[in-house]
Amino acid sequence: MSEPCILIVEEELLVRTPLAEYLRECGYLVLEASSAGDARTLLEDGSRRVDIVLAEVKSGEPSGFALASWVRAHLPDTQVVLAGTIATATEKAGDICQEGPALSKPYDHRVVLDYIQRLLAARDRNDRT
Amino acid sequence: MVPQALLQPRPARILVVEDEVLVRALIAEELRLAGFDVIEADRADDALTYIGAGEQVDLVFSDIQTPGSLDGLQLAETLRDKYPDIPVILTSGNAPIRRVGIVEAFVPKPYDVTQTIALMSAILAQKSPGEPL
Repeated sequence: MSEPCILIVEEELLVRTPLAEYLRECGYLVLEASSAGDARTLLEDGSRRVDIVLAEVKSGEPSGFALASWVRAHLPDTQVVLAGTIATATEKAGDICQEGPALSKPYDHRVVLDYIQRLLAARDRNDRT
Repeated sequence: MVPQALLQPRPARILVVEDEVLVRALIAEELRLAGFDVIEADRADDALTYIGAGEQVDLVFSDIQTPGSLDGLQLAETLRDKYPDIPVILTSGNAPIRRVGIVEAFVPKPYDVTQTIALMSAILAQKSPGEPL
């Protein structure tokens, strides 16, 4: 049986990448989308069964809420986890990781949050210069 | 990336810039299966932001037509000026009209994934002879 698949929907590359890497290290196959629209494209493609969608609430147009409604209506076996902040997203990723196929978490989800915050701070410093 | 930095040897990290999500997902998955660490960006701006945040990238594979303020060619030009050690491969469904000579290679779309990955491996091997990819 192939590893469970998670689709991460997050606009910010500096947030999405560490979350995706974390979940890969927990043993999941991870697909990435930067918007709810792209997420729907991946889901409708259907070439891979997605077990969990981890989406930010505000993921463009359509919103994360609209994506969640669509998933519940069309893919009832797919679980949807919505997150409103980066901290919530990493916490929920930690929860998913604990349930994941890997025997143990490679590192605590708070390390992921610290890492994301360092990346965002570096970006903001670059934007100012 | 925190976990990868702890692993020796570190797999080469390839930043894929492609706004077509199905195309990006396919090449990213095949690259990961081939043992690479893959960063997925749908805009050239995001790719530059990622590198500018201090993250190490060993090779950039970018579509030329990307949304946002930078296209793939402008990304390649910026990388050549600011990060000349990062090789760049560009791809497009249209023939490039200018300055494609500034990059290591141009791959026309639709591309053969296996051959494209072999090309990336060859460029990375040339960049760091003797180092594991």
